[in-house]
Amino acid sequence: MPEITLVAESGREPGSSSSRRLRASGRIPGVVYGHGTDPIPVSVVAREFRQAVSGDAGLNTLLDLEIDGARHLTLARDVQRHPVRGVVTHIDFLIVRRDEVIAADVPVNLVGDPIEVNHGDGIVDQQLFTLAVKAKPADIPTVIDLDISGLEIGSSIKVADISLPRGVESDTDAETVVVLGLPPRVQAAAGEGGEGEGEAEGGQAATSGEGSSEG
Amino acid sequence: MLMPRKVKHRKQQRGRMTGAAKGGTSVNFGDFGIQALEPGWLTARQIEAARIAMTRHVRRGGKVWIRVFPDRPVTQKPAETRMGSGKGNPEHWVAVVKPGRVLFELAGVDQELARAAMERAIQKLPFKAKFVVRPGTHGTPEVNV
Repeated sequence: MPEITLVAESGREPGSSSSRRLRASGRIPGVVYGHGTDPIPVSVVAREFRQAVSGDAGLNTLLDLEIDGARHLTLARDVQRHPVRGVVTHIDFLIVRRDEVIAADVPVNLVGDPIEVNHGDGIVDQQLFTLAVKAKPADIPTVIDLDISGLEIGSSIKVADISLPRGVESDTDAETVVVLGLPPRVQAAAGEGGEGEGEAEGGQAATSGEGSSEG
Repeated sequence: MLMPRKVKHRKQQRGRMTGAAKGGTSVNFGDFGIQALEPGWLTARQIEAARIAMTRHVRRGGKVWIRVFPDRPVTQKPAETRMGSGKGNPEHWVAVVKPGRVLFELAGVDQELARAAMERAIQKLPFKAKFVVRPGTHGTPEVNV
């Protein structure tokens, strides 16, 4: 896993007003903690932080945080974002050690062409976008590639089917579905009959993909 | 149309819509989403209209998630009625939407088609909304500053 040096400034004023002023000046407030150390309020330059986590490893990039001359190996653990603008408003930096096993969420990347699903006009439904793994910081993979070329409609690929690199373990239930081959939506005949009136669907996160009858 | 099966109280007070959404502000199920930029009441009819506009444009494939549920009753007094005599009758159901809330999600289609479908759905909404992509996918940065 890549390791990037990031300079952080300590001694920032706590509170919402001063944090707002920091953000306006192009910095992001944050806090550094872990391994029994007292939490250190810090701030980092927003552009430098974005550059640091824009690599392949994303938010799992190991950050060598330089605070007033002292260096801490950290991971950006909790990144708070603005609800509308999506910009980062606060970062928690967790101090880690090279020889300890830590937990991280690694993105699952689908590779290959699901020929069977495409031929049947089906949908590849990815249900798990990140996999929680446990490994030493240096062993955490940047991405987990999952080959879906053998996926068929009605079949699924589960966590148990993912081959993890050496030194990497996952506590996720082996039966958890990662990706599913769904049948195509039922298409009504050319005359667009039954308007959506009767198609009541479930509430939160209801799917309307299948069972909907408009053409 | 979406509506609760049963409710504890038939009529509610109107309430306020200050601030931004507290949760449901990121794309969690699909690859693309519609995010509200203004507060407002989204009626069950508008949710259904937006969903139909989206699924019609996508035609084949694609999976849609509706991330809001109209659980608030809105009452109305009949036309040409004198004031008084109590609160009106429940007429329709709305979801209270605050800025930042992701209303719909879509997966299983490419970005261009998703954008076109969702732009059509946005036309059915009573407030400003924008098309969003799951961060870290489709060439979008994981962190935005």
